[in-house]
Amino acid sequence: MMLSVQNLDKRFGGVHATRNVSIDFPAGSLTAIIGPNGAGKTTFFNLISGAFRPNSGKVIFDGQDIVGKSSLEIVRLGMMRAFQVAEIFPSLTVNEALTAAVISHQRKSWTFMSRFPVPEAQTSAEEIIELLGLEDKADTLSRNLSHGDQKLLDIGLALAMQPKVLLLDEPTAGMGPDERWRMIGKVQHLWSVKKMTVLFIEHDMDIVFKIAQQIHVLKYGAVLATGTADEIRRNQDVIDAYLGTDHHLSEAIGET
Amino acid sequence: MTRSGMLRDAVIAIVALAVLVAIPFVFTKPSLRDFLIYVMAYGLLAMSLNLLVGLTGLVSFGHAAFFVSGAYMFGLLMQSGNVSIPVAMLITVAGTAMLALVIGAICVRLKEIYFSFITLAFQMFIHSIILTWVSLTGGDQGLRGGIPRPPFLGIDLGNSVALYIFCACVFMICIVVMRQIWQSPFGYTLRLIRDNPNRANYLGVDIIRMKLGIFVIAGAMASVAGMLLALFVSGAYPEFGFWTTSGEAIFMIMLGSSQLFIGPIIGAILLRLLEHFVSIYTEYHGLVLGLVILAIVLGLRRGVADFVVEWIERRKAARAPATTEHTACAKEGAL
Amino acid sequence: MNLEALFSCLSSSACAVTQVSTALIIGMLLFMVASGLSLIFGVLGVINFAHGAFYMAGAYIAFFTYQATSSFLAAFLAGAAGVGLIGVIFERFVISKVYGKDILMQLLVCYAVILIFDDLVKMVAGPEYKMMGMPEVFALPPLELAGGFVPAYYVFMIGASLVIGLGLWLAIEKTRMGKIVRALAINPQMVGALGINTTLLYAAVFGIGSALAGVAGALAAPTRTLTPGMGLSILIESFIVTVIGGMGSIVGALIAALLIGFTRAFGAIGFPLFVDGMMFGMMAIVLIIKPSGLLGREVTR
Repeated sequence: MMLSVQNLDKRFGGVHATRNVSIDFPAGSLTAIIGPNGAGKTTFFNLISGAFRPNSGKVIFDGQDIVGKSSLEIVRLGMMRAFQVAEIFPSLTVNEALTAAVISHQRKSWTFMSRFPVPEAQTSAEEIIELLGLEDKADTLSRNLSHGDQKLLDIGLALAMQPKVLLLDEPTAGMGPDERWRMIGKVQHLWSVKKMTVLFIEHDMDIVFKIAQQIHVLKYGAVLATGTADEIRRNQDVIDAYLGTDHHLSEAIGET
Repeated sequence: MTRSGMLRDAVIAIVALAVLVAIPFVFTKPSLRDFLIYVMAYGLLAMSLNLLVGLTGLVSFGHAAFFVSGAYMFGLLMQSGNVSIPVAMLITVAGTAMLALVIGAICVRLKEIYFSFITLAFQMFIHSIILTWVSLTGGDQGLRGGIPRPPFLGIDLGNSVALYIFCACVFMICIVVMRQIWQSPFGYTLRLIRDNPNRANYLGVDIIRMKLGIFVIAGAMASVAGMLLALFVSGAYPEFGFWTTSGEAIFMIMLGSSQLFIGPIIGAILLRLLEHFVSIYTEYHGLVLGLVILAIVLGLRRGVADFVVEWIERRKAARAPATTEHTACAKEGAL
Repeated sequence: MNLEALFSCLSSSACAVTQVSTALIIGMLLFMVASGLSLIFGVLGVINFAHGAFYMAGAYIAFFTYQATSSFLAAFLAGAAGVGLIGVIFERFVISKVYGKDILMQLLVCYAVILIFDDLVKMVAGPEYKMMGMPEVFALPPLELAGGFVPAYYVFMIGASLVIGLGLWLAIEKTRMGKIVRALAINPQMVGALGINTTLLYAAVFGIGSALAGVAGALAAPTRTLTPGMGLSILIESFIVTVIGGMGSIVGALIAALLIGFTRAFGAIGFPLFVDGMMFGMMAIVLIIKPSGLLGREVTR
């Protein structure tokens, strides 16, 4: 098991944001986390990536419990994340940002004597640019990229660290329908090429049902259901939870 | 590519140094030489501060602490009569680096405006130590008795031309070192922190340590600037460490540009010229300076050099066909 | 270092009373200045580096008003109102232009304002020291307390500061307006959406925060020598106070201000050379152990 979350629990004052969540993520899996707004999906990511500390529970990552470790330590163990709102470096070009990220991964951030970009890092950065299909924007300032390209770059930055586990918080947030499919196609492509364990949060049910191997549904911070696309589609709890709260899912379910 | 970058910078540095050294032989007025030494000392201070402000996004309001500690440490070492000038300089740089390490270890944990304030507070602490420890520092009278300049390796800094050339060489060495930091992987990692510290943290960058590292380097560089000034005026005064000195350094960065490597030096030249002309007409140059700052910040809303660069780009864009106009607009919108 | 003198002072009630009253007035002045700084930071998110200059302005306005009218009440009110007005003008025409801009710009405009104020004072009042002298209203025999003497004005000063501090606390914690101001600090868009004029509110908060500095200046005027540049040391000290007490906490500011006041008053006897060092040491310890300050809320940055 690459990542195993056991009885994870988190309260913010009176709000019980994560309730006794236990999920296993096998190595090389592609898993979707879904749920209505406020279900605690992003909190779940924050807990496993070390941004928040859970009140109780374990997070076993690659054989060791990482609860209590700083986000920096967890990153260095190989768990990377991309954010719902693209977190990028506005005044650096795509190439510069990715190369600097690769340098960080190689633990060469304290190098004074050579000049940026160092050739080894440059090569890896170029590979990522190619993988993302951003070749013609390599020298564009990150702040001048389109919304979709900024989201891609955010994922690319995570890839620069050669993650074992990649957490994607709504990779298609804020995109039009066509763009969503292009984006998710790229995510699936990355996953199959890099053979990482990928967890992603997604609202678009068509996308989730199409590409996720496993789906976990969160509601009020607890796991409501777990299963493959077919199982989730037929799960009465899920249908009940979504009917009335998310019209889109009921449509998606209706199609089958 | 990377080798050629270093080579190119080395060539530029050598040419610039040659020009700098040649100036007093072409224009022999001593006042020009004095002006240039001032610009080098304050320019170096502003450049070292810009390692924090422009490169790392840390706006220190207390950078003069290291400027003044450089001047005093160096002055006291030379007055002790036990060491030569180069040895005293090395000890001073190391000593100031230690000081910056201690102060920085506390300061870099704080973010944004908090950082500005606490650096200012520490600077005023050092200023007050200098004022109160009269037996060592001479209090508000400054370091008494002048700073001796014993000859070393056949160089006699008692000669004003030799002193000028020595200052120019030290200045250029520091510039080259800072340029290397600016262009190194270390420098680009600092840019990550400047642009988005949270994301940098999630890319495995140890932000606190990186900030501390550059804080120490910037402090050490500022001490060299302080030493140049102490050598030149043959003394050290508490005003070197007063908050207005830090404020001036920040203003130099703003007058020049925080994103252009040599921006702060341009700012240092502009500010020195401004102060020179203002002091001819009025004794209230704080008032005039304050009004100029307000006019620039509220009128231009950016640094003078940034404004000029943008203006040129806009002129170019206006002349070029529509394709480039688009990118210029995008850039402007982002600013 | 003269700890013997410190102990002998502490064991004589006369000396102890004198020093305690000194500690209290230093503390209360600092509290006034620091709570203004803290209020402005808490709501507007900017640290007003020109706050010390406002304190100076308050002292000078009081000084000139007193010379013109011989009324301390008029001097006090003029100091408070004048600086409050300066604060509003400064917020509207200067600081509001750099909200959301990089810190460099915020710092520079404050730097500019300090330079301008210091030179204006030099122009108007001259570079030399000025003394306001004790107002006649307070030309009363000092209070005798356990063998020590406390000037009547000190008692007034401490009382006035406490009343103002309490008023501020009540206004923020207990009134509708205070509730709106607290909401403004957390979510300005929401407050704006409720139909409240946030622009006006920002200016008002800045004005009140500045007026607090003006009040402190006016209160300090009879007891201090006035010089251009007098605002800087109190700015640094009030920053230390807000760091120790916790940004945005009025009670924290009071505790920390008294702490600094006592350190100053008794340090002046026992270890005059290390008073500054002590203050900075305390600040450093608080920053390392509890970066949000003694009573600061954990969520503040």
